[in-house]
This record gives sequence, C-alpha cells and structure tokens, in this order.
Amino acid sequence: MSKHNWLMLPALIVPAAIAAPAYAVQYQTLELAQKALFPEAAQFVRADVMMTNEVRQQIEKASGVRVRNALQQVWRAEAGSRMLGWFVLDEVIGKHEFITYVVALQPDGAVKGVDILEYRETHGSEIKNEKWRAQFIGKKQGEAFRLDEDIANISGATLSCKNISNGVKRIVATYQAVMK
Amino acid sequence: MNITLEPQKLQQASTVELVRARPLLGTIVEISACGCAAAQTQAAIAQAFAEIEKVHALMSYHDEDSDVSRINREAFDAELQVDVHTWRVLRAARLMAEASNGVFDISVARQLTRLGFLPDHAGFPKTQCRGDWRDIVLLPDNRVRLACDLSIDLSGIAKGYAVDLAIQALSAAGMSAGRVNAGGDLRVFGAAGQHIHVRDPAAHTHTIPLLELTHGAAATSAGYYSERLHQGHMVTPIIHPHRKAACESGRSVTVLAKDCMTADALTKVVYANPRGAAAVLKSYKARALIVEHDPLRGACHIFDSQQAE
Repeated sequence: MSKHNWLMLPALIVPAAIAAPAYAVQYQTLELAQKALFPEAAQFVRADVMMTNEVRQQIEKASGVRVRNALQQVWRAEAGSRMLGWFVLDEVIGKHEFITYVVALQPDGAVKGVDILEYRETHGSEIKNEKWRAQFIGKKQGEAFRLDEDIANISGATLSCKNISNGVKRIVATYQAVMK
Repeated sequence: MNITLEPQKLQQASTVELVRARPLLGTIVEISACGCAAAQTQAAIAQAFAEIEKVHALMSYHDEDSDVSRINREAFDAELQVDVHTWRVLRAARLMAEASNGVFDISVARQLTRLGFLPDHAGFPKTQCRGDWRDIVLLPDNRVRLACDLSIDLSGIAKGYAVDLAIQALSAAGMSAGRVNAGGDLRVFGAAGQHIHVRDPAAHTHTIPLLELTHGAAATSAGYYSERLHQGHMVTPIIHPHRKAACESGRSVTVLAKDCMTADALTKVVYANPRGAAAVLKSYKARALIVEHDPLRGACHIFDSQQAE
C-alpha cells in the first residue's frame, strides 16, 4: 500500500459518502461592489454594450479569448459631470466553477480593480444549466452566504484564476473595441 | 447575581463579518474579517488585499517587472538589490532548503518551464546549469547574487508569506477575528475555531472535513487543479529536486504550522518525500496530514504525522 505507511499511520478512513457536495459563496452584491470600487461615485449610469459579430471577432482576435455573450453589462461611474470610469459585470464558466465578478476600469481603460461577487463550484453538469445558475442570482441581498454553512474553509487545490484573468483580458479588449 | 453575562453573544452582536474575494497570486484569494463597524472592516480587508498585491507584484514569476524576474534575468551577472519582503522569503526558502536537505528548492523553475507549468521567458538563461539552492547567495542590505545561471520560482512559498502579511494587516487594523485563504494556503485568528475541509484527491468537487483551526496556518498541496499529463503520467507542479522530476498526483498533503509561509513550504517537502519529512516537521513544530484515495474501498485514508511519533 502506501509508501509512507511506516511514518504515518492511517488515523482514520473517511468513506466517500460523507464528503459534502457543491460549494458556493456569495461575497457581495453588485451595489456594494460598485461602492467599494468607486467610493467617490455619485451615480452609476447603465451603459450596456451590444456587440455585433464583427466586433466580437475583433475582440476575440485582440484578446485571444472567446466572446460568449453579445451583451456586456456596463455602468459608467460618475461624480456630477466627472466621469470616473467603467464598471463591468461579467461571468466565467470553468470546468468545475461558475464565477460572477466585476471589473473596474479607469476612464483610459486601465484596470482599476477586480472583485468576485459569486463563486459556485459543482460537479460540472449543473454549471452550464441556466436554471441552476438563476437560482443564485439576486437570491440574497447583503453579505456572504454559503450553500453549506459548514464549509467555510477549503484548504487545498490551488484553484486557478486563469478563467478570470482571461475574462479581464476580454473586457479590456472590449473597451478598446467599443467603449473607448 | 441574577444577571448573566454572555460576553461571547454580546461580542457577536456588535461585530460585522465581511468576506471578499479577488483573483491574485494565480488563484482566488478570500479574506474574511470581523470588526466593529462595516466601514472599518471593509478598510481592513482592503489593506489586507493591498499586502497580497504587494507580494504578487514582487514575487510573481509571470510578471516581468517582479523581483523574481529581475533575479532570473540579472542576478547571475551582478549583485542585485531586492525588496526586503523578497529577501525575507528568499532567506526562509534557504532555511527550508537546509532543513530539508534540499527537498525544498526554489531553483526548480527550469523543470517547471519544461513541464509547461511556467511560461518560457525570452530573457531568462537557457543553458542547463547543475546549480541548486546553494547557488542563491544572500548578501546584506537585501542583495542577492546567483552563483550559477539558474532560475528561481517562489510560488511554493510566497503565497504563504502573502497570507501572513494579510493576517498581520487584519490584526493591526483591530479586527477581532480574520481568515485569509489563498487557494489552499490559509491562516486564521480569533476566538472561535474554524473547520477546515480538504478536497477528496479522487473527486475534486467533494470535500472532507479534516480539522478545526483556532489559530495558526494550514496549507494544502495537491495536484487536482494543476496537474498535467506529461509522458503518460499525471504530474503535479511539485518537483522532487533530487530527481529533478515532477511528483505524481493522487494524494493531498496538509501541513499545520504557526505561520502560513512555513506551512506552504512544508507541504512541498512532505509531498515530495513523506518518509524523510518527520524530522523537518518536528524542527518547525509542524504537523502533516496526508489524504490518500483508496480506489478499492472507495474511501480516503488520512495519515497523521503526530500519530506516528
């Protein structure tokens, strides 16, 4: 059996059945994230971006990342007549995870900050299911909630943030293509 | 006395707990804090994220302007001054290399590049040198020199250091409790114990309750989200320095230590060489738990270094 047996005795055996499934956290609401990333903003003006196929291809070429949606939800952060930057809502779907996050851009398109709103992890199939995803959105107002209150800390797995990094690249390319 | 004081309840009633997460250090960093008011707690978390961003900027292998990239490009030719934080991590890495007889070695960047875990930077040395951690010379005034044209990678220890700095920031900001989790390297403080779960090495989306942590750090290394197929085997980005080959995946190692940098680095030592790790664990007053999947029973075995003593 195990090569390290002589050093480490098996302390206990955990049957797979008691392992808890799915893990999900809602960190903050859209409104709180807006305030956190643009504390000086007086209002957020909806400025959604619709992308034609041509524009999508242009963004894909510039960023090397696939554009899934034709609509990008965007707000303009303003203080009176002063434009403070852009606030972009986005989501990425990974092999095991579904993440909603926001990117704050300065008026010149430089990334000011990235904050994760919701993180959901599951066995895979549910993630791409719209209905399953919808059950989380806007469900709880306010602060963090977890599907399973007990699983607050998962140690282990350097879960890559590559999907988010790619998402941010795509958003920066979207700015260059249509928001500039 | 007919008044019952329940200090814990009173405290709970007046504290605000906030949790935030951002993509940093190549993973998702989650920071939680308990403070008296929402604004104060929010500011403390922002300060803690700033500490992590600082470590990210200094010690990223991917970022060409980081201290690590500067060392890899320039420190073979000349002495190089680095940030005090980078120097501290380099010193801790050296102590860990000495204690583990080189099982922990930050000079494995080239093997990681070869296996596709790290990008191939144009300006970095290409020649194969036989050097190891001993060739990273630490000089006074935060200066560094490489005695051999090797490449270093601090990703096996810097995340833990970043977590420690973030925890210090939360504590300095007056938080009553806090938790920082950088993709499995986590540290907590505060009165209440926190349950720590680990992933099932065979079913990544399943978690297993492993232990309760009241203070100190726990770090876990495992291949599940980072493993790659290399020459017919699933391998992890943990290199066995003596063999210069990647360790195979299939188990997870969790190390408990007083700080997260130590726990982070020790997971690599235990992962690469469980047999030889007992003395190192002892010298750092640390404890290791190995979770191994048993396909025959469909269960997980948990090995505990403290039970073996």
